Amino acid sequence: MQHQTERGPRGPAPGAAGRRRVVVTGAGVVSPLGDSPAALHRALAAGASARKPIELFETGGIGCHEAGEIRPFDPQAYVGERNLRPLDRTSRLLVVAAQLALADSGWAAAGQPRPAGNPEAAAAEVGLVVGTTFCSVRTIAEFDRRALRLGPSHASPLDFANSVINAAAGQAAIWHGLRGVNSTLAGGEASGLQAIAQAAELVRTSRADAVLAGGAEELCFESFLGYYRAGRLCGSLDRGAAERPVPFDARRNGFSLSEGAALLMLEDASAAAARGAAVRAEVLGWGAAFAAASGEAGMADAVARAVRLALADAGAAPAEIGCLSASASGSLPVDRAEARGVAAALGERAAELPVTAIKAMLGEGLGVSAAWQAVDLVETIGDGVLPGIAGLEQLEPGLPLPLPETAPSATRRLEPAARRRALVTAVGADGHCAALVLGAP
Amino acid sequence: MSAAAPARRIAVTGLGAVTPVGTGKEEVWANLLAGRLGFAPVASFDTKAFNVHLGAEVQGFSPSAYVRSLDPTRLGRASQLAIAAARLALADAGLAEEPREPGGPLEPGEPLGVGEVAAALAGVAMGTTSGEPREVERFDDRYLAGELDAVGAEFMTLYPCHMIAAHVGRELGFAGINTMIPAACAAGNYALAHAVDVLRAGRAELMLAGGADAFSRITYAGFARLGAIAPERCQPFDRRRKGMIPGEGAAVLVLEPLDAARRRGARIYAEVAGYGLSCDAHHMTAAHPEGDGAVRAMSRALADAGVAPEQVSYISAHGTGTPTNDRLEAIAVGRVFGAGTRVPISSIKSMLGHTMGAASAIEAAVCALAVATDEIPPTMGLEDPENDFDYVPNEARRLRVEVAMNNAYAFGGNNASTIFRKCELS
Repeated sequence: MQHQTERGPRGPAPGAAGRRRVVVTGAGVVSPLGDSPAALHRALAAGASARKPIELFETGGIGCHEAGEIRPFDPQAYVGERNLRPLDRTSRLLVVAAQLALADSGWAAAGQPRPAGNPEAAAAEVGLVVGTTFCSVRTIAEFDRRALRLGPSHASPLDFANSVINAAAGQAAIWHGLRGVNSTLAGGEASGLQAIAQAAELVRTSRADAVLAGGAEELCFESFLGYYRAGRLCGSLDRGAAERPVPFDARRNGFSLSEGAALLMLEDASAAAARGAAVRAEVLGWGAAFAAASGEAGMADAVARAVRLALADAGAAPAEIGCLSASASGSLPVDRAEARGVAAALGERAAELPVTAIKAMLGEGLGVSAAWQAVDLVETIGDGVLPGIAGLEQLEPGLPLPLPETAPSATRRLEPAARRRALVTAVGADGHCAALVLGAP
Repeated sequence: MSAAAPARRIAVTGLGAVTPVGTGKEEVWANLLAGRLGFAPVASFDTKAFNVHLGAEVQGFSPSAYVRSLDPTRLGRASQLAIAAARLALADAGLAEEPREPGGPLEPGEPLGVGEVAAALAGVAMGTTSGEPREVERFDDRYLAGELDAVGAEFMTLYPCHMIAAHVGRELGFAGINTMIPAACAAGNYALAHAVDVLRAGRAELMLAGGADAFSRITYAGFARLGAIAPERCQPFDRRRKGMIPGEGAAVLVLEPLDAARRRGARIYAEVAGYGLSCDAHHMTAAHPEGDGAVRAMSRALADAGVAPEQVSYISAHGTGTPTNDRLEAIAVGRVFGAGTRVPISSIKSMLGHTMGAASAIEAAVCALAVATDEIPPTMGLEDPENDFDYVPNEARRLRVEVAMNNAYAFGGNNASTIFRKCELS
C-alpha cells in the first residue's frame, strides 16, 4: 500500500450483482434564480445574475453591498399556513426545498411519506443528509447577543434549539416526517457534494432506500462581514475596483455570496422502479480528498485525487466524461487550483471538455453550492444545455481549461454522447475536495 | 442488508482523549473507573448572571504540547483539543513512533509511519455540537461594544466548524477524506459511523474518528435557560437528578481494517461491529415520548452488527442527567432489551458532564476499553434509581464484556448507536 495514492473500486462494477444502483428521481431548489430545477436551468442558460443590493441587513461599514439574496422569499407560498415561527431562515429554505423535492420525485409531500406499492414501508423511510457551512450563524450570534444584553434568563429557548448546526436538518425532518437517517455535513463549499456522496453511500450499502441529499445556507450579516474581512468577497481586497466574481477570469477578485437550498431525491434503483418513479439520472460514483498541504499545489493535488477516485468508483474513463460543472466562484487561488487539478486527473480529455461554472450566475452559496451544481447538471443531462460562464471575457492565461477564446461565456448545446457521463467538482477553500459522476438514466 | 460480499471488519487500534477528568487513555480510564468527578466552578467566563455555576472544563490544557506542524495560537480551542486527542490516539496505535519534526505535513504519497498507509488513504471524521463557539462569541463581544472594525480575517478562518477536521488533517498530513459532522450531542457516534462506512467501502485505509467541543457561554446559557443544568451534581438515572452539567473535551479513535491491523501486529481494542442512525422527526429538543427514534437506532445497530440484544454485555448510556432524557432513554432501552433486562448500563456523564460533540466519542472510547479490559465504569451519584435497571451504581465493575453498545441522542432528533465487539486473536 505504500506510496499508493489512489485505489479503484473494491466492489463490482456499477449495476453488477451485489452493488445497488443509486438514481435521482427528483429535486427541489430554492435559489435567487428560480425555485425549480427547470426555472434555475433556464436562468443559468440565459446568463442571469443573482446579484442584487442586499435588503436582509444593513451593509453600512462594509465595502460590498450586493449578494444573491432570495427576495421575495415566502415559505408559506410553498408549505401552507403551518407555523413557521420556530424555523430560522436556513431551516425555512431547507423545508421548502424538501417539500419541492418530495413532490418532484412523486413522494407524498408531507406527513409520513411512503412510496405507493412498497411492501417494506418501514425500510423505506426517507432520510435527509444536508451540507452546510454555518446552518445559521445568525441564529447562534443573535442568541448569544440577546443573552448578553438582557441576561441569561432572557435567552431565547427557540433560538437555542436552532443554534445547533444540525438544526435545519432536524427541523425539516420534523416538518416532513422524515424518520430515516438524518445527518449534517460541513465542508465549506464542498458540503453539498459531501452530503450527496454520503447519502448515495447509504443507499448503495442498503442502509437506506430513499434519501434527500443536498445543502442549505442562508445569507446573513455575520458571514457577509466575515468573508468581507477575510478578503474573499469580490472587491473586498482591491477596494474600489469593479466587483468581478467571474470564475476563471483573469480579472476575477473574489466570490459573490449567495443563499438557498437544494435537495436531490436519491433512491435505490430497484425501489424506484418498483414504485414507478421517473429516473432523471444515476449517481455513478464519488470521491473525496483533502488538501493537507496549504497552497495551490496541495489544493490541485486534492482536486485531482477526488476526481480520480470518483471516476474509479464510477468505473468511468476520463474520455467518457462529457462535461464538467466546476466549483469555481471567482476566488483567486481556488479557481486556479481546481482547473489544474481537474486537468491533472483527466489528462488529454481536459483539453476538450465542455465546462460550466454556475457560480458565475448564482454566486457562492457555500453549503448549497454543490447541490445546485448537481441539480443543474441533471437538467443538462436531460436537455443537453450546458450553461455558459456569464461575464467571462478573458480566461486567466495558462489555465488548462478548454474554454473557447471567443465567447467563452456562451451557453452550449451538448451532443447526446456528451450527456452520458457528467462530472461535478466541489472545492472548499479550506481544503475539502469532492467529485461526483452523474450518468444519464 | 444486501447479499453483497462480506463487509470489511473494522478494528479500533488507538484511543486518545482530552477530558475534564484527565488527558490520555490511561489517566482518563483510571479516573473513570475510580469514579472521579470533573466538575468545578466555571473558569472560562463569569457565571454571576446565572443561577448555576458548575462546569466540566478541561484543566491545564497546553495546546503547544500537541500542536507541532501548525501554530497552536492560531487555532480555535476545539481544534486544539481535537489535535491533542488525535496525536494521543495515533501514538497509542503505534503509528507515531518517530514523531515528525515541526514543519510541513506529509505529502499524499508519503507513508504515515509504522502502518505504511499512504497519507492519501488516511482520513479524518470529526463530530461537534458548536464547532468553535468562542470565535462567534468574540464576534458578538465586538458587535455589542461597537467594535466591529476589529473583526479580521480570523473570524472566517477559525470559526466554521469544518475547521476542526481540517486542522486535524493539516496538522497530521492526513490527505484522504476529511469530514465534519455537526450532529450535536450525537456527533461523535455519527463521525464513527461515517468512518466505518468509508473504511468498509475501501475509500480509506486508516481513519481518525471522534468529536470535539470547547466550553462555551452560548451552550451554557442555552441549557441554563432550559433549566437543564444541575446546580450541584450530575446524577443520571437517580430520582432526584436535577440535570446535566455542560463540559468540553475531545476524543479520537484510530480505526483501520481488521486484517490490516492484524498484519501490522497492532493492539486491537475492539471491532466496531455496527451502527444505527435514526431521526425522531418529533421535536427539536425533546426526545420522542415513547423513545421511538432511540429504539430504531439501537435496533438498526444490532441488526448491522448481527448481535442479539441478549448478547450485549454493557450499554454506555446517553444518560445526561436531565429528568426527561433519562426517563425516555429507560423506556427505549426497555423496549429493545426487555423491561426486566439486567444488562449493565452506566453514564460516564455523571463524572465528565456533557462534553457535547465529544461526548459520544469519549463514550465510544470507553466502550472499546470496556471490551478490551472487561471493566466498566460506574454511574456516580446514583442513590435512588428511578428504574429497576442495573445502572452500575457508584463503583466500577469487572465482568466479561463481549459486546458494548454506545447510545447518543441529539437536538434535532438525531439518534446514533454504535456497537463494539471483543476481537479475539485468530
